[in-house]
Amino acid sequence: MPRLLNILTSKPNCGPVWVAFVLLGISVLNSQAKIVLTVPQQVSLSANFFSQQLTISWFGGEATTFDLIILRTEFNETVFYNTVPAVMNQDGGRHQWTWTSVEPLECTSLSVKIRSRDGITKSEWSEPQILKGRDLPSNSVQQVYPQDKVVPVGGNTTFCCIVEEGNEFRDFLYGSIKMNVKRLSRRSYVTTAVNQNLSGPTGTNVLCRLKNKLNGSVIFVGYPPLPTNFECITNDLTSAVCYWDGGRVTNLYAKRKTSYSINKRDCPDGKCVLPEWDGNWTLLAVNPLGQYSLTYSAELLHRVVPVAPVNLSATDDAWNTTVNWHWPYSSYNTLALLCQVQLASHNILLRNFSGVGLQSVFLPHLHPNTKYRVQIQCGSLNHFLKWGNWSKEFNFTTKSYVPEAPDVWMFVNRDNSVRVMWKPLTQWQSHGVLTGYEVTLWSLEENENQTNNLSPKDNSLNLTDWASITADKKAIASVKANNVKGMSQPSSIMLGLIDDKCAPLAQTIYTSSGFPLSWQHSDNSTGGYLVEWCEAVCTSDCAVDWIRLDAGSTHVSIKDSIVKFQPGVRYNFSLYESPSVSPVLIRRWQGYIQELPPSISVNLEINQQDCDVVLSWEEIPLAGRRGFLLGYKVYRVNNFSNFTLLDDLSPEMRTYTVKDLSTSTYKFTVKAYTSAGEDTGGTAAITLKQCADGLILEILTSLGIVTLLLTTVSCFCYKKRRWVKKAFYPDIPEPKLPGDWSRTQSLICAFQGPMDVKPFPHSMVHIIEKPEWDFSKDTLVIIPEEEDYEGEGIGDEPVDTDEPQLLRYYNQVVDERPIRPRFPDSSVSSSSSVDSANTDVTYTGIQTSHSSLVFPSDSQGFSEGFQPHSGLSLSSRNKGEGYHPQMHSVTLGGNLASPEPIVEPHAVGSEGYKPQNSWLLDSPTEGDENSPAPSLGSPTSVASTQFLLPDRERHEEKRQQPSSAANWFTNLLSSAKP
Amino acid sequence: MGNVMMAVSRTKVTAVTNLAALVEHECTNLLILYRKQENLPEDMESDRLVFISHPSSQLDTKSKLQSLHTGLGKCYSLLERAIALEEEELDGVETTEYKNTRGRLKGELLNLLKSTGGLLKAAGGKPIKVLDDSEPYQPSNLFHLKLWVYSVLMEVKFWSSTAIALLRELQAVAAKEPPKKSKKSTRSTRR
Repeated sequence: MPRLLNILTSKPNCGPVWVAFVLLGISVLNSQAKIVLTVPQQVSLSANFFSQQLTISWFGGEATTFDLIILRTEFNETVFYNTVPAVMNQDGGRHQWTWTSVEPLECTSLSVKIRSRDGITKSEWSEPQILKGRDLPSNSVQQVYPQDKVVPVGGNTTFCCIVEEGNEFRDFLYGSIKMNVKRLSRRSYVTTAVNQNLSGPTGTNVLCRLKNKLNGSVIFVGYPPLPTNFECITNDLTSAVCYWDGGRVTNLYAKRKTSYSINKRDCPDGKCVLPEWDGNWTLLAVNPLGQYSLTYSAELLHRVVPVAPVNLSATDDAWNTTVNWHWPYSSYNTLALLCQVQLASHNILLRNFSGVGLQSVFLPHLHPNTKYRVQIQCGSLNHFLKWGNWSKEFNFTTKSYVPEAPDVWMFVNRDNSVRVMWKPLTQWQSHGVLTGYEVTLWSLEENENQTNNLSPKDNSLNLTDWASITADKKAIASVKANNVKGMSQPSSIMLGLIDDKCAPLAQTIYTSSGFPLSWQHSDNSTGGYLVEWCEAVCTSDCAVDWIRLDAGSTHVSIKDSIVKFQPGVRYNFSLYESPSVSPVLIRRWQGYIQELPPSISVNLEINQQDCDVVLSWEEIPLAGRRGFLLGYKVYRVNNFSNFTLLDDLSPEMRTYTVKDLSTSTYKFTVKAYTSAGEDTGGTAAITLKQCADGLILEILTSLGIVTLLLTTVSCFCYKKRRWVKKAFYPDIPEPKLPGDWSRTQSLICAFQGPMDVKPFPHSMVHIIEKPEWDFSKDTLVIIPEEEDYEGEGIGDEPVDTDEPQLLRYYNQVVDERPIRPRFPDSSVSSSSSVDSANTDVTYTGIQTSHSSLVFPSDSQGFSEGFQPHSGLSLSSRNKGEGYHPQMHSVTLGGNLASPEPIVEPHAVGSEGYKPQNSWLLDSPTEGDENSPAPSLGSPTSVASTQFLLPDRERHEEKRQQPSSAANWFTNLLSSAKP
Repeated sequence: MGNVMMAVSRTKVTAVTNLAALVEHECTNLLILYRKQENLPEDMESDRLVFISHPSSQLDTKSKLQSLHTGLGKCYSLLERAIALEEEELDGVETTEYKNTRGRLKGELLNLLKSTGGLLKAAGGKPIKVLDDSEPYQPSNLFHLKLWVYSVLMEVKFWSSTAIALLRELQAVAAKEPPKKSKKSTRSTRR
């Protein structure tokens, strides 16, 4: 270039020409290069429909790259377009490119074109080469692709359906799932199943449904093989037996299942026998989705697993045996073997034996007359890999032998008779079939022998009819067992009564390990211990069990044995020292495995003792207690069966007294209880009779109280008699109306209410003058004049219109004015009584009249008991207070049969003379007829302070009115007068 | 037809009818199981595989029984082939209800075939041997095999139904005929 530039500088006129030349030259060169990139020639297509691969080959000249385009012929859609490197085939220099289609190649026709490329320089496209699809009109049937394909789990598969000529596409189903569809050509439709799951054993059906036809395909989705645990052993020291596990399930079956081969020898699943020991093995597993291989190497003697021994036999003896067997391979004769013998009878024992070519073993320490089962397995002693198979089970029975000496003990029955007992010999102890027992008794005192032969079922002998054994008179019992081989050694026991009173008694509580018993070790004890147990309620043939313990033992737990422990049953446990020589009872226990409420209730008796109730009962029998009694609960049964706990008694109590009960019916229940609860209880009822002492006491108490009260009141009244007299019984001033009956009227009017005056049958009345009386306080009311009365208008009191008529009965009455009561505390009456304050009245006679009025104190009784009749004039106002005439009886004429029914009910209020000391009501209305008794209030006038009747009559009157408080007060005050 | 029924006890015909009903019932169950296992649509059509004239097209009882017996024989051969192909191409290792029912159907169909052979023999016909000399079916793909198995089952059901209908027809005709008088009663009449 510098050179060129120099040229251009030296010859400036020629420059444009040269530049034109250079450009022309470059242009020529370019045109020559374009011509060099030839169009690919002889393009050919090769399709693999199974793998959906299309191999394209061509001759392409010197180009290094090629453009490749694949089109769906019918719709001219580009499927693939890319620049690929030139890979020259060895045969003939053809270029080749392989393309894998997503869709099956049968689905529709494909057109392939190629051009050479060198940078940006490209040749022309080759003529299109067409791979014909199956959707050509000449192939008019319905088709689905791919068919019977096997794919791995998780893969994607595209299916195409070529519709039958003239038919109509309906849908695509993958199993039961309707799929999305894409159209590739006029008759071809495709769908893609993505991330496929395991198919069923018979594959998944892909259905292409047309309007009236159905076709489809089956696809299998699974896994490639993956075997594990491949190894080889030898049993016969010659051949090889190889094993493996199939590993993951491939889900492919029938023709698609995994096939195996070892060292190119086909093998069945899981196991393969090779005739020679190769030392190195390769396992190859193959299925449509792939293959997997495993290798294994080993030396022969390191992989020996002996087969099972055969033809077992035994040479029997009583206490041992020899078991023999055979090996199927002679090669074992030089092999060091380790064999395991399993010997089973009541339990299973494993014993190991070793030796070269081992073919027999000696088994010691067997039991006579016992059936054994034996099995043998062996392994290589020097290079133990694993045990071989067990041999078949072989049975043999050892020979019989003389029995063992039985375990003998004695039991003292309740009647102090002795029972010799021995434990039944087990199969291990009898050494053969027992034929019986021989019991020999030897009395030490009498030097007498007696032998008893008993059957094999017997295990005790009662000595009731042999000899009377006492604490001082002893004997020895020897027991021997017999079988077909002979007689056992004798087993002896010293017989004698044992004092069980001195041994301490305690309770033992059952646990999961049994009844725990413990005791202090005695240094003197050298002969060991024996614990015996049985039911506390032990009959003559009850089950008794015992256990012998070493001399140093201090505790033991007693479990279920021939004595079957039951809930609610008490068991006795006895600990003996030196049981074989001279048994001494040193401890006793009692216990239950489970306490229950008593099953039997107390038999309750009930008795009355004075005013108390005594409950008594007997002790519950031991069998019915079912637990340790904790006491008795005494209940009183109320109405509605409610229980009231009266007391909780200790178990020693047998009586209970219920005190201070009143006369009634009582029901009591006594329930015994254990730690498990109460029983149903014994119930008894009693109806208490009146207790004499109580009645007397009650009467005396009442009398005492009354006496005390009366005494107190009397003393009080006596002490305060002046006050009482002033307050309740002021002196009545004597009326002083000389020569005038107005005093009488005033006296009459002193009664409260409308005064009904009745003539007395006996008209003798004595008025005792009390000159000293303070008339200024007199309550005697002077009846005012008619004008005054009317003019002053005494309240609202009604006017008794009968009064003028009543007054006519009195022959002394001169004034027919109505008599009205006056109240001493009334200002009006006090003012009106001034004129009559000194009136003196002397009753000399009061005319008796049958029509005279009665003043009952009990106005109600009067009104009820006495009905007025025509011709009788009665006051309608029944004031019972005030002055009453001294009426004994009233004869009412022929209409009344007898005066008695009338007089008696009103005796209190109307009979005889009564002192005028009654309290009157402040208001006349308050003291109405309904008032049952005189009420306390303002004292009214008192007409007399002395009884006007004779004493005898007064006594009679007292009898009739024993509880009249008014009379009592009157008497009291009378007696208190000075 | 009545003569045939005289030769064969009604009890025998009834037993064969019941056997045909059992085959039909078993085949119906098997078709239900097959459709469920293969997710096949309910309305799927099947191809006819036994090309023998229907018994109803025959005139006499013997020909009817011959046609039925031959059709059942073809069905049995097809079912045997179908089971063999399924075991070879499709079956897994597990025992399924479909396989159990399929085995029972095969046994019951063989019994029905032998029983109809007995009836045919009584009617004077000649039972066929249970051998299919036709070329065994070879499916082009597994889906076609499944369709073919379905068609075989449908054919078994069709021919078992045909057997039921024909045997009931025989029973009905026999019932219309008067009971045959015994020899003993005939003799007494002569006396």
